[in-house]
Amino acid sequence: MKKAAIILLLLFSAAVFSAQSDMSKSVVMIQVVKQPFDYTTPWKQTSVSQGIGSGFIIAGNKIITNAHNVSDSKYIIVKKENVAKKYPATVEFVGHDCDLALLKVIDKSFFDDTEALTLGTLPEIHSKVSTYGFPMGGTHISVTEGIVSRIQTDIYVHSGADGHLVIQTDAAINPGNSGGPVILDGNVVGVAFQGMSQAENIGYMIPTTVINHFLLDVNDGKYDGFGSIGVSLFSGLHNDSYKDYLKLEPNVQGVVVTSVLLNSSAEKVLQRGDCITQIDNYDVDNDGMIMIYGKKYHLSEVVETKQIGQTVNLTFWRNGKKQTEQLVVQLNRPVFEPAHLYDNQPPYVCFAGFTFVAASRNFLETWGRDWLDSIPHTLRYLLNDSQQLNKDRGLKEYVVLSEILPDQINQYADEYNNKPLENINGADVRSLNDVRKAFENKNCDFYVLKFMNTEKPLLLDARQAHKQNDIILKKYNVKSWTFPEEQL
Amino acid sequence: MNRTIIFITLISSFMSSAFAGGSSDISEKLKDSIVYLQISYYAYEQYQPWRNKELTESSGVGCAVGANKVITTAYNVANAAFIRAKKTGINEYISAKIEIIDYESNLALIELDSNSLGKPLVPLVFSENYKKGAGVNFYWLSAGGQIYNGRGFLDRAAVDVSTISFSRMLTFIAAGISDSTSFGHLYCLDNKPLGIACWSNENKESGIIPSKVINRFLADVKGGKYKGAGMTGFDTSSLLEPATRKYLKMPDNLQNGVYISAVHTIGTGSDVLKVGDVLLSIDGFDIDPYGKFKHPQFDVLSFDFLITNKTAGDKITFNVWRNGRAQKIDTLVKHFDVSQMLVPWYDYDRQPEYIIVGGCILQKLTKTYLAARGHDWQGKVEPHIYDYLLNHAFEPNEQRKQIVVLSYVLPANINLGYHNLGQLVVDSINGMKINSIKDVPAALSLKPESKFHVIEFEMEQPAIVLDRSQLDSAGISIAQNYGIDKIYNINK
Repeated sequence: MKKAAIILLLLFSAAVFSAQSDMSKSVVMIQVVKQPFDYTTPWKQTSVSQGIGSGFIIAGNKIITNAHNVSDSKYIIVKKENVAKKYPATVEFVGHDCDLALLKVIDKSFFDDTEALTLGTLPEIHSKVSTYGFPMGGTHISVTEGIVSRIQTDIYVHSGADGHLVIQTDAAINPGNSGGPVILDGNVVGVAFQGMSQAENIGYMIPTTVINHFLLDVNDGKYDGFGSIGVSLFSGLHNDSYKDYLKLEPNVQGVVVTSVLLNSSAEKVLQRGDCITQIDNYDVDNDGMIMIYGKKYHLSEVVETKQIGQTVNLTFWRNGKKQTEQLVVQLNRPVFEPAHLYDNQPPYVCFAGFTFVAASRNFLETWGRDWLDSIPHTLRYLLNDSQQLNKDRGLKEYVVLSEILPDQINQYADEYNNKPLENINGADVRSLNDVRKAFENKNCDFYVLKFMNTEKPLLLDARQAHKQNDIILKKYNVKSWTFPEEQL
Repeated sequence: MNRTIIFITLISSFMSSAFAGGSSDISEKLKDSIVYLQISYYAYEQYQPWRNKELTESSGVGCAVGANKVITTAYNVANAAFIRAKKTGINEYISAKIEIIDYESNLALIELDSNSLGKPLVPLVFSENYKKGAGVNFYWLSAGGQIYNGRGFLDRAAVDVSTISFSRMLTFIAAGISDSTSFGHLYCLDNKPLGIACWSNENKESGIIPSKVINRFLADVKGGKYKGAGMTGFDTSSLLEPATRKYLKMPDNLQNGVYISAVHTIGTGSDVLKVGDVLLSIDGFDIDPYGKFKHPQFDVLSFDFLITNKTAGDKITFNVWRNGRAQKIDTLVKHFDVSQMLVPWYDYDRQPEYIIVGGCILQKLTKTYLAARGHDWQGKVEPHIYDYLLNHAFEPNEQRKQIVVLSYVLPANINLGYHNLGQLVVDSINGMKINSIKDVPAALSLKPESKFHVIEFEMEQPAIVLDRSQLDSAGISIAQNYGIDKIYNINK
């Protein structure tokens, strides 16, 4: 009871402090109506929800906020603290991999009597920062103070798979704070964006290194995202025998390439067993760390500073020889995309009641909270190991049977549910488009569908399947048998 | 109100039928035929395979099948370190030892020391009677030397995996049982032995290993060298889809048959069946599209019964639909030892096989090892390793007889840099492919001129390179530091 009283008191004093600040000209409230897509039945959308987040104005009449505030949005309004009027806004750019978005307000008068905030640099550990925003749905700007506890690389929860620098602070960051600025000496040093449920007083913000990358990226009118060098690295050179085995001199420090992603920009430059010792003149140590921003961070921090298409200089050892090559930074994503997808309707093919989708994390998450432990083995295997398992350069995505709309034509096919499809009539399925093409071909008696790890094929009488297809689409209100409707 | 009355009526009629079999008590007669078993278990730790788990104890029932021999479930005595028995009227324990244990049939034959037994036991005769719905009684001997009994009724016969193996054996299920029964309790129908209990659940159901399975086991034991029950060497998948039957050119009047969806490298049928065959009948019994057949006594059962009810070496005839026509295939029933599996399903009574090389614990993959990860282990085990169990456990071949994994690394100077590696499948050591755990010592003796031992793993994982000259001294200090008395255990 005593503990609860203390917490309330602290929050209260924080609110009092807010009255003294003059951030009402820069910090805005963002009200969003969201409606995500259903990844099992992809022509449907899930239920509508509403949320409140924060954002702030930067030069050029733009509003920065978190991508997670505005993802899957149907309607957005922005509001200033002391002005009743609500202004409709749209998402101009969104970077789901870095959880940032830029909003455009249609009525430019919104920016009258506002002040743009400027971006600062990476703060020092221990510096005192203030977080501004609209936590827990309040109508007035709240400010909380804290110190910068540490700066490290961490996973951005919104994407679920991308890691960038984060600044940890003990300033309270609560739902609604998201997208609000974190200020040091009048400059923005971060965007508040995620917390930690198991720990008290640990909040995270996106540093300006990431914000600047995002802003520079969108300068050309489209968002490309953060790239990578497309390799897996191993920090095993702590072991002298390993070093000796790789024919490295005893004083060499670096990290070892263990695998190179298929179709990545690294394929032409690196191979398994290479030892990277330098990246753009930064020396790499045996943990894969470099000295950057005055501290040791992973060598990927150099890659984080590059835009897609830019290069890094790599110095590495191969077979006892030192070499230097340029490597183009590209997206370099594995064939099973591990990040969350947002905003776009998932493509599908729905034929004879069989609904095929591309395997995605969103689809897997339909298994519920413990999805990673409860999804079928084959899907977990592909998600975890697609990089090693897939040797097919032409494979664009894994296609999965996500749902069967029951009908006489498919009544014995339940055993194939949630299985990845390998081929139809012997032709490899490397994308949803291949499934569409296979069923467009009416010049066969049967469609023989072979699923992964399943020897018994699924057989469809071609003529009957086409006949039932129209009936099924009508019965289950499916507007089109494919999305997108036109072949890509 | 009306509904309540009906409900009560139903219960009372149910009770009277359940009690029907208990009209006369045969407890007295059983005094010389059932014994109390006390078992001490000393299983091995899977993640520290040089160590035993905590000593535990349990009790069970043995049913006499000879003057000094009893049967109980294999589950009761799996991982047993010491077994002792008690008979009514004798206070002293009688020492006992396992003569034959068959995990597939879930039966063990225990021999009691005749010197301390006194009067010989009166063997029971297991009757192959089956009456669906009839009342059944079960009996057990308490530690205090008293015969207890309970009641239930015989609900159904099914073919089911036993509690401890993968083999699908005939099992009777008793329902409405008055007490839990899972320790070899003797079930009787019309006062005649029907089988022994192998499990019970919260729904007051109990599994019974029936006389048919027991009698096959006993006949097999009598034959001298124990051959074992037949084991299925293939998987099936239902074949109801008309388009699939049409595609396989099966005529409309051919209504039976189940699809063979996988053929293993071990087990009955593995030598003659092919993926894509349709299994029409076994020994003249028509197999339906779900893989079931009509048994004259037990009604509908899974086809597995027709294999697991036989003994290895017996003849069996498959009738399959292959290449658009029916053909008869004669072959012999097969049994395999679980250790022949690529990933053994269980590992009772044996110390896990492992070898520690420079602190790297290399271990033979078994299901027991994976299951030691605890609750929901299937979702937690690394998918590449789990795939061997799920999709390849029954597919050992000459190139790959076992899977060897790096369990984890015991941190020491020699393995600095590798401390975080673990749960990786070993591909080769010093260039030699690792086909089984036995290959590890042989591979370590290769390339004596080389400065290193190189352990390579599957899935493009980092290699482990160890300094050969340090290996022996590091091995001694790791063993001392971590209290390991045995740095390897590899069966011959």
